Amino acid sequence: MIVSNPLTVRFTLNGREQSIEVEPSAVLVDILREKFGLTGTKITCDQAVCGACTVLVDGRPTASCSEFAFMVEGRSVTTIEGLGSPDTLHPIQAAFIEAGALQCGFCTPGMILLLDALLRQNPDPDEATLRHWLSSSVCRCTGYQIIIDAAVLAAARYRNETRSDARS
Amino acid sequence: MPPYSRRLDTAMKHAPMHAPNQLRVVGSHVAAQDGLAKVTGTALYTFDRSLPGMLHAKALRSPHAHARIVNIDTSRAAAMAGVAVVVTAKDLVGLNPLYGVRIKDQPVLAIDKVRHYGDVVAAVAAEDEAIAFRALSAIDVDYELLPPVMTIADALAPDAPLLFDQPQITALRPHGETGEGIPEPGPNLLYQFNHDVGDIEAALKACDHVYEDTFSFSRMTPYHMEPFVALARLEGNIIELWTCSQDPFLIRQDIANIFSVPDHLVRVHASYVGGGFGGKSFCKLEPLAVLLARKTGRPVRLCLSLDENFVTLSQHAAILILKTGVKADGTFVARDARIYMDGGAYSDASAIVTDKAGYRLPGPYRWTALRTRAYAVRTTTVPAGSFRGFGGTQANFASESQIDMIARRIGLDPLDVRIRNMLRPGEFYLDRDTPIDSDFALGLRKAADRIGYGQARPRGRGIGLAVGFKDAGGEARAARAAVKITVTGRVVVQAGACELGQGIATALSQIAAEILNVPYDWVRYGEIDTDISPYDQGTHASSGIAVAGNAVARAAQDVRAQVLAFAAEKLRCNPDDLYLENWTAQKGGKTFPLQPLAVEYFGGYGCEFVGRGFFKVDEDLTTALNAKRLFWMPSWIGIEVEVDEETGQYVIMDFVAGTDAGRVINAAAVRGQIEGGALQGLGQAMFETLVYAGEELMTATPLAYRLPVAADLPKRFRSFVEEHGMGPGPFESKGIGEAGILAVAAALANAIEDAVGVRVTSLPITPEKILSALDEAKR
Repeated sequence: MIVSNPLTVRFTLNGREQSIEVEPSAVLVDILREKFGLTGTKITCDQAVCGACTVLVDGRPTASCSEFAFMVEGRSVTTIEGLGSPDTLHPIQAAFIEAGALQCGFCTPGMILLLDALLRQNPDPDEATLRHWLSSSVCRCTGYQIIIDAAVLAAARYRNETRSDARS
Repeated sequence: MPPYSRRLDTAMKHAPMHAPNQLRVVGSHVAAQDGLAKVTGTALYTFDRSLPGMLHAKALRSPHAHARIVNIDTSRAAAMAGVAVVVTAKDLVGLNPLYGVRIKDQPVLAIDKVRHYGDVVAAVAAEDEAIAFRALSAIDVDYELLPPVMTIADALAPDAPLLFDQPQITALRPHGETGEGIPEPGPNLLYQFNHDVGDIEAALKACDHVYEDTFSFSRMTPYHMEPFVALARLEGNIIELWTCSQDPFLIRQDIANIFSVPDHLVRVHASYVGGGFGGKSFCKLEPLAVLLARKTGRPVRLCLSLDENFVTLSQHAAILILKTGVKADGTFVARDARIYMDGGAYSDASAIVTDKAGYRLPGPYRWTALRTRAYAVRTTTVPAGSFRGFGGTQANFASESQIDMIARRIGLDPLDVRIRNMLRPGEFYLDRDTPIDSDFALGLRKAADRIGYGQARPRGRGIGLAVGFKDAGGEARAARAAVKITVTGRVVVQAGACELGQGIATALSQIAAEILNVPYDWVRYGEIDTDISPYDQGTHASSGIAVAGNAVARAAQDVRAQVLAFAAEKLRCNPDDLYLENWTAQKGGKTFPLQPLAVEYFGGYGCEFVGRGFFKVDEDLTTALNAKRLFWMPSWIGIEVEVDEETGQYVIMDFVAGTDAGRVINAAAVRGQIEGGALQGLGQAMFETLVYAGEELMTATPLAYRLPVAADLPKRFRSFVEEHGMGPGPFESKGIGEAGILAVAAALANAIEDAVGVRVTSLPITPEKILSALDEAKR
């Protein structure tokens, strides 16, 4: 049996500094769900295939089921709970509700975070880009086109907000 | 009055419906009830629930397809630190260990032998999942290998090894005059459904052309995103269970039966269900979680990995042999069919899926005579059961493929042939069953127009059409509902229809808001708990809107009548003189807020008004099954494909899927159902399949199992929704949850033949199959 000492990991979680002791073998999703109670991050395949566990690590979409917890040392992690709250929805969250782009909802947190990463890089993605990006997450319910519609809606709002930010 | 109206009258006699143009909430754009919780990650699924002191369970699964269990030694595993208990079939002594729908043959843990790769042999409950997982490898099982039975042909071969030596417990529902259900009719046969209409021999003799074609249908895994999960605990002598199932009341019944406890001592909670597609219906591993909780006295969470879900339930693979006779002008006359459904190792829902595959095979067409023999076959593969489409997908693939083939063989247009034979609204299905309640021909023409049917196109491009056809609403189903109004006029709807993502919580809330004349956001759909919720037979068969929906509509009418009576008494008038709106009563131009009246009446603390509703489809043995169909669920698929004749590769240039919702209650939800179902069907048509190579499952891992992602969408992917206004649900609505998947594979096969003149009759339709058919055609 491998005996190993817990490691201390310091990282930013949803904008707040955190310090936590973890086993070297602990994976990020378990820490998020079990230590921090952030159950918005889901697990489906547990093998970095389906995208349900997607979180942002320094803004990059990351499969938290396949990332050791110690690997986020010094980095910034955003989960769905950090993106917006029921009172202050993020534009993508609002667009998903408005377009009806969710059904069972199990892929939804990962999809929204994935799109957030995309829209930060490319505020006006075309259909081909959206299809390409969304292909790293599985949605078994919607047939995707309605999610693409929500993404287009959200992207327009991103651009408007960016423009109004620039003016102010 | 057309015949369908008579039936609708009966179904709707209590429903006070507004004319469609007066609807405020039904059909309007509203935010999904579960939207805010799901986009913010605050929605709690069964997967997310935990309890103090909770143990985690893992199952040891058979590495063999078929073997006798000689010995199981659990001593090493049981002695490991952190392991609370290890259970095997020995722990089932004194229980009723078998479950299954109509035929109970599946043990909670394998007894004496294993019947498929992945069969559950033992289970461990431990302090955490990692310990439980490690303990599995310390369980020693001696197997004596038995010859596997991997395919329908293997199972039906003379002298094939038997999966079961003894007859199993059966409790079939009665069949009607033209149908017959036979449990375990022969070696390795689980079930047989016979369907006979007219004189088949005479009708076949009268045909100008008779064609026999064989179709091979692949199988998919549900791949619901939330894994199967159950959490059980004991509270005194009460078994409390949280499960991802869509059937909380059926699970209560199974648990009570298996553990021989009265059903009022079993309490089942349902949460948001993270997708189902069939995989969350009927009993699965809930009894194992309960067994472990009883053995340890602690809460136990049993959550399967996706790999385990692959070996828990699948769709039915099938072989369908259709002998179909027509007149020279394309009139359909007779169909003589044999269907072999691969039921896998255990019954699950195979008997009723087989009924439905057989009964749906004729499609929405007129026939003189039919003879169908549909069999569920036992094989040493993953158990098959409910899967979106429920036998209809198998039947539609074969039937809609063959109709196209026959039209082309006799030189007629496949669209014209379909329309010529199509049942019109109000015509009975097969003489006596529920009259057709959608304009199938209208929908098909619309799909044909949208996809550009009949337009000239270059070689290599083709268009395929297909009609999806399925009865829906289940068998003689019943549901209850309650609608509660607080003193502030806010509303909680209580019913047992589970929210799997189909939008039932939203639709039922819209129905209640419409009837009570309050804003939609005043209504909430309550959580489901078998102690509290009104009874529901399970969220199946696209029945939610028509069965639970009618129960909710009646409960809303009941509570509305109570409120009117209360207000009339307070205002000293006749209830008929009052008009309710936004928790006010209006009379002769004056508006009376109801809140102060109610608060005063209830003594300052407040109270609730509660209405109740019940809906049941009557049993009826005049047709093939045990009730008449509640409604018909159509889909219309049009596909334009471009095929490369050098390689067999193809690209779907355009795709359109349509359905008839009767009346749309929520447009986004309807669109989501039709498009989601259609893409699931397209995945199966193109590539998605669970593959066995010998005893080994080749595609049962997340990486190896290819399912549709956004990049697989056709170049254009569109849907349309008709409102033919003939549904039996509130406001003439009907369910559409399974419509999209039904006929997609046939439409693709039809498009490919249209493009390059070759026919693929097995799924998935791969470039290899097209290429080899092209090569054969050249020889």
